[in-house]
Order: sequence, then structure tokens, then C-alpha cells
Amino acid sequence: MSVTLTEQDILKEKTEYTGVHPQKFGLWIGMASMSMFFAALTSALLVKKGDYRSWEAFRLPTVFLLSTITVISLSCCIHAALISYRKSKFSQFRWLMFFSFLLGCLFLGFQLMGWSVLQAGGMTLTENLSGSFIYVITAAHGLHIVVGLFVMLVFIVNAFRNRKDPIYELRDIINPKRQLNLELLVSYWHYVDAVWVYLYLFFYLNYQ
Amino acid sequence: METATAAHTEHHPDIHGHEEHHEETFLTKYIFSQDHKMISKQFLITGIFWGIVGGFLSVLFRLQLGWPNETFPFLESLLGKWAEGGKISQEFYYALVTMHGTILVFFVLTGGLSGTFANLLIPYQIGARDMASPFINMLSYWFFLTAGIVMFFSFFIQTGPASGGWTAYPPLNGLRDTSVNLGSGLGFDMWILGMSLFIVSSLLGGLNYIATVLNMRTKGMNMFRLPLTIWALMFTAVIGVLSFPALLAGCVLLEFDRLLDTSFYLNNIIINGNLLGYKGGSPILFQHLFWFLGHPEVYIIILPAMGLVSEVLSTHSRKPVFGYKAMIFSILAILVLSFIVWAHHMFVTGLNPNLGAVFTLFTLLIAIPSAIKVFNWIGTIWRGKVRLSSANLFAIGFVSMFISGGLTGIILGNSAIDIQLHDTMFVVAHFHIVMGVSAFFGMFAGVYNWFPRLYGKYMNETLGQIHFYGTLIGAYAIFFPMHFMTGLPRRYYTYANFETFNNFNFLAEFISIAAIIVFLVQIVFVVNFFYSIFKGRNVEVQKTVDGHAYGNPWGTTTMEWTSPIERLHGNWPGDIPTIHRWPYDYSVNGREYIPQTEPLKPGEVPHE
Ligand code: HEM
Ligand SMILES: [Cu+2]
Repeated sequence: MSVTLTEQDILKEKTEYTGVHPQKFGLWIGMASMSMFFAALTSALLVKKGDYRSWEAFRLPTVFLLSTITVISLSCCIHAALISYRKSKFSQFRWLMFFSFLLGCLFLGFQLMGWSVLQAGGMTLTENLSGSFIYVITAAHGLHIVVGLFVMLVFIVNAFRNRKDPIYELRDIINPKRQLNLELLVSYWHYVDAVWVYLYLFFYLNYQ
Repeated sequence: METATAAHTEHHPDIHGHEEHHEETFLTKYIFSQDHKMISKQFLITGIFWGIVGGFLSVLFRLQLGWPNETFPFLESLLGKWAEGGKISQEFYYALVTMHGTILVFFVLTGGLSGTFANLLIPYQIGARDMASPFINMLSYWFFLTAGIVMFFSFFIQTGPASGGWTAYPPLNGLRDTSVNLGSGLGFDMWILGMSLFIVSSLLGGLNYIATVLNMRTKGMNMFRLPLTIWALMFTAVIGVLSFPALLAGCVLLEFDRLLDTSFYLNNIIINGNLLGYKGGSPILFQHLFWFLGHPEVYIIILPAMGLVSEVLSTHSRKPVFGYKAMIFSILAILVLSFIVWAHHMFVTGLNPNLGAVFTLFTLLIAIPSAIKVFNWIGTIWRGKVRLSSANLFAIGFVSMFISGGLTGIILGNSAIDIQLHDTMFVVAHFHIVMGVSAFFGMFAGVYNWFPRLYGKYMNETLGQIHFYGTLIGAYAIFFPMHFMTGLPRRYYTYANFETFNNFNFLAEFISIAAIIVFLVQIVFVVNFFYSIFKGRNVEVQKTVDGHAYGNPWGTTTMEWTSPIERLHGNWPGDIPTIHRWPYDYSVNGREYIPQTEPLKPGEVPHE
């Protein structure tokens, strides 16, 4: 055999069982897996908070609230981008994607500010376990954000590079693969945003 | 069979002439392949490589355990400074033990086993052209390979590979100070990196396997028509996807302790009279995170083997699997229970005895689904027309091994007894028989049985039989005596200082000899494998349709042999066949076997 199948051949007519595209289904399983990762980290925190007598209580930096607002706006923004893509409003799509990207960077900025507030308050990485956990968990979550930003960037660069080319835009409309990829990316972002909201509430309840 | 005649209907996907398809090059075909069959071969051959390495390491440390007072000059030429004067150094002994466990547990029996058979069998047996995401599937292999390369290179660095045990417990592994333990230096950082890559690989693979089984089955293949192999592989993936992240979290915290001086696992450590600055951590936290993966991990290893064995036993005994649904629900029960028994590895950590009792209860509950499965396997071969082919011998051997090792599990599961037995050779005997050897047997059964599917050729049967009897007898010779080395602690370099243990010297030597023989017998398998790829007997052609030759070497009912003997991209030249019946119609209606693709006769009552 001297030919390879394209993904479409393989995935043809393959949503009859769960009604979801198999790759989206795969992403959901990946989300379950990432949730276990954060569940493990946060339960480790609870265990140590429970058994370490010199656990230092401190107030969570308020800038983390700004991060939370940012990720929620990011979710709305990128979802709006998806909707305009579906309606073939490509210029709107491009700008909404671009704003989402900026919001993502802003989020990382707020997280770094959160760290420096902690440092300024004397809670360095190694000062006390109560602080160490915040650094590690936010860093682990931040890494997921960075990965998402990287993929988002690829989309944006493609979208802007070809914006003068009507053929490209036409191809966008008729190419289900591209729309699927966008949907996957948007789901991923909703997921990592939701994880942050969870983490924020979790911290908020445990650091008073 | 009309599957092949039904092949050319109007929905023909026309795989051959489509313009969008790219030409294959050597690189896309063999190296960066996205084809599930090629990825399966990549996993298998990488797994065989790791099997040889991991097995050889055990031969080396058995030399030390069997003949603690001898020197072996060839060791010095082989290992250099790690075996000065022909005697393995203490540091390297621990590195050998650690890497032996890591390699065999993760790289052979997890990556190699699941990677090979999930990739080969899932698309073939559910009737899919490939995985849900062939690209992610390829990534899964590449992460696996990279993880392995990192691990492998840790053997060649100044301070040697990780040597703090495959379980990687802190505080020993929590400090980078090589004056404490050589292998806790760079070698252990590489271990963490390698394991993290490995975990990513297994997650990428796992999510693909699950998505494929749940979404990409061919028409008529409802869940209760899936072969047990597929059920087992899918549940395995579920366990992996949910439990590996805990180990990843554990490793992340551990690496923070090592590189950035946090104290997640460390507390008031004193080295050479100096009190280090760590405060508040607890090494037990790591054990919880480790065993939250670690126990499910043993089922990640054994479930695929169970699936392969169920299939092989039924095929080669020409009988339906006994208790098909009971088999499925037992695996499901094992899946659920495997998440709530992890602390049976931690009975001696100062665990609250009441909690210990709870974990004892759950642990012993696992014996129930396990026993159901054993009963059903025996029921399957009972009065069957049993063929003693290599594949089936290994499957039967699996059942024997699984029983022997499962019984000692029940003993260890009792917290009160385990306090005596923990960290002794009894545990080593338990888990090698029930996991190590059993899973290998399952894997061998799978390889002998599906080799024709992978390469269109048979493996040599005589060599297969030698391999089986040698391994069966040899493995019992190695691990059975370990039950009687009462109280002998595991992981010791030498027992010379303990007078009481002198009477085990003979047994230790006997075990070492057996281990060397078993290792040599595995070489028979490796030779057979590679020889058969090139020179094996071809699968008989039963019919040729449209230039594609079809065969069915073992007379199986499942779908993999409705695809031509040659491994085509997309697996079926025309439409994917439709499924009409369950996978175990052996010796029914006066027929030896009825393929799943054959429609029911008028008036025929389906199995369900
Ligand atoms: C009847 C079911 C089983 C029971 C009740 C059981 C119980 C136990 C217990 C209590 C231990 C801890 C011993 C100790 O360290 O003191 C243990 C160790 C172990 N078991 Fe099992 N087991 C069972 C089946 C299995 C199976 C099916 C596998 C693998 C396929 C397995 C693999 C292991 C491994 C790898 C270890 C030791 C890990 C280590 O410390 O390095 N067990 N088992
Ligand atoms: Cu266990």
C-alpha cells in the first residue's frame, strides 16, 4: 500500500454512538484526568493543613480575585469568538480571539503579581508549607494556561495571516476539521478557566 | 463468509485512489507512523527491548544475592567502576533493583503491554479504521520512547541511575545530596523526568483508547458484543487515566522538594550532624500519592493480560467464554475496588488500625471478582477441545500463576499478618507471581496468538513450547521458594551479618540459577520472534477477493480476521463489515465457529 488515510476517512460517520465527535470525547477524558491531577494536589494540601501544627494561616492576595474575573471574561470572549466563527463573521472572530489571548496573558500577569504579593508579605516558596502549596498549585495551573495560549496563538496567526484571502476564509467555512479544532480549543479553555475558579474558591475557603 | 463480498457497495470509501492521500515514505511508514498497527509494533518491539534490559538487570543482582562471596571478573569489564574487582558495588546493586522494578512495571508491562494490544486490537476488533486521533496516538508512542531514552541514559551518568526503589519514597529520594545516596542525584531527576513523560504518554494513549471504543464501533457492535479483550483494555485505560495523575502530582511535589527546597515530604532531616532547614513535610503523604496510583497500577498491568487470556482460552478451547457478562462486571468491580485499597501497602506506616481494618476489608473484597474470573476461565476450558498451542499454554499458565499469587495476596491483605510479612521476600514472591509472571504469561499468550495478525506469519511452535515449559517451571522455581524464606527482608545487599538467615543460602543460590535459566529461555522467545518476522510460516490463504488474500489462522469469531492478511491502511478495503452476533459463538449449531459478521439464520436465537 502506498497511500495513507486522512483523518476524515478514519472518522467518517463516527458519532452515532455517543453523539459527540470522538476527538471531543477524548478531550473530555483528558479533562477527567487533569481533574484528578488537581484533585490530588488540593487533597494533599488539605491533608497537610490538617496534620501540620505550624501551618501558617495568611490571607489570600486579593489580586487572585482579579485573575478570577479575568478568566471568566476570557471564557466569555473565546466563546463569542466561536459563535462568530460559526456565523462566518471572520473579522469579528479574529479580534475576539486576539482579545482572548490578551486576557490569557493578563491572567498570567495577575498570577505573577499574586506571587510577588506573597513574597512581599514574607511568604516565600520555602517559608511555610501553607505558602508552598499556593506556589506549586498556581504554577501547575499556569502551565496549563501557557499550553492553551500557545495553541491559541497558532490559531490567531493563521487567521490573521490569511485574512486578505477569500479562498482561505471559504475553506474555513467548509472545513469541518478546522471548526472541530476550534471547538476543542474553546472547550479546553472553558475547562482550565473552570479549574481556576475551583482553585480560587478552594484557596479562599482554606486561607482566611 | 459474505463480509468480503459485501465489501464493494456504493458507500465504498475508496481508500486507494483519493487525491488527498499522501504518498508514504520510509519516515511516515516506519518512524512517524500514525497507523495503529505500526504503532502497535513500535510499542511491542520497544517493550521487548525493555524486557531484555529489565530482565538482564535482575540477572546481575541475582549474582550478588546467590553468591555474595564470589567475584565475577566479567562484571568489571561490563560495568566498570560499578563492579570493581568483579563484585557489584552496593550503590549499583540498589540502582539495579530500582531500575529493574521501574522498567518492568512501567515500560514493559504497562507501556509495552497496553500499548501493543490496545493499538492492535481495538481498531481491528471493534471495526474501526484507526484510533479516534491517530496523531495523538503517535504522540503517545513518542512520549513513551522519549521517556525510555531518558531512563536509559541515566545508566551512563557519573552518579548512576535512580537507586531509591521503584516506589521512589522520600526522604531518601527527596534530597539531591549524593553523599546520602548516589542514585538520589541527577539519576533520580532523570527518573522523575522519564516517569513524567511516561505518564503523559499513558494518558494520551488511554484517552484515545476509551474514545475509540466508545465512539468508533462498527454497525451492530453494541457494547455487549465486544470481545473481552476490548472491555479489559478499555477499563485499563480508565484506571490509568484516573490514577496516573496522582503519581504525577506526587512527583511534582517531590521535585519541588529536591530542586527548590520546599518541604512537602521532608521534616527535620539531619545529615552528618547538620540539621537541614526542611520543616513540616511528611514522607507518608508521598506514599499516599504513590500508592493511589501504585495499586491501580497493578491492575493496569493485569487487566489487559486477563482480557487476552479470556480470548485465547475461548478460541483455543473452541468454547464460548464461560460467564461473559460476569467477566465484564468482575473487571468493573476490580476497577472500582482498585481505587480504595491503596493503603494496604502502608499498614506499617503508623496507619490508624481502624483505618487499616477498613482497607483490609476492601482489599479482601477484591478476591471475589478475581475468583469469579478464575472460575470462569476454568469453566471456559472445561471439556473444551483444548489445543495445546503456545498461545493457549501461556493462557493456561496465566491462570495457574494468577491463582498461586492471588492466594498469598489474601494473606497479605490482613493488616495484622502483613505487619510481620511486610518488606520480606514473601511480598516479593506474591507480587512477582501474581503480577510479574502472570502478566508476562498473558502477554506471551497474546503475542503468540496475534503474531499472525501483526506480521502475516506464525511464530515457531516448537520454540514456543520450549519457551513455555522453560518459563513455567523456571518461574515457579524462582518464586515459590521465596515464600519460605521466612522473615528475610527484601532489598538487602547481603545477609552476611545475620546468622539466622544463613540457612537460606542454598535457596538463594538455587533461585539465582533458576533466574539465569529463565532469562536464557526468554532469549528463545526473542530469537523466535525476530526469526519468524522474516522466516515464519505464512498464514494460510483461505480465499482471495479483489486481489486481497484472507485467512483466519485460529478460526476466531472476532473481527480482526475479516480484514485481509496484508495490513492495509484503514484495515478493510471496502466497507467495514456489520456485526450480527456476540463474539463467542464457538461450537454452536453444529459449527466449529461462527464469525461475528455472519447474520443470524432465520429462527436462530442470538446469545444475548
Ligand atoms: C487477591 C488479591 C490481592 C490481594 C489481597 C493483594 C494484597 C497485597 C498486599 C496486602 C500487599 C502489600 C504487602 C506488603 O508490602 O506488605 C501487596 C503487594 C503487592 N501486590 Fe498484591 N494483592 C492482590 C493481588 C495482586 C495483583 C492481582 C497484583 C498485580 C497484578 C498485585 C501486585 C502487588 C504488588 C506489585 C505488590 C508490592 C509492591 C511493592 O511493595 O513493591 N497484587 N498485595
Ligand atoms: Cu495493592
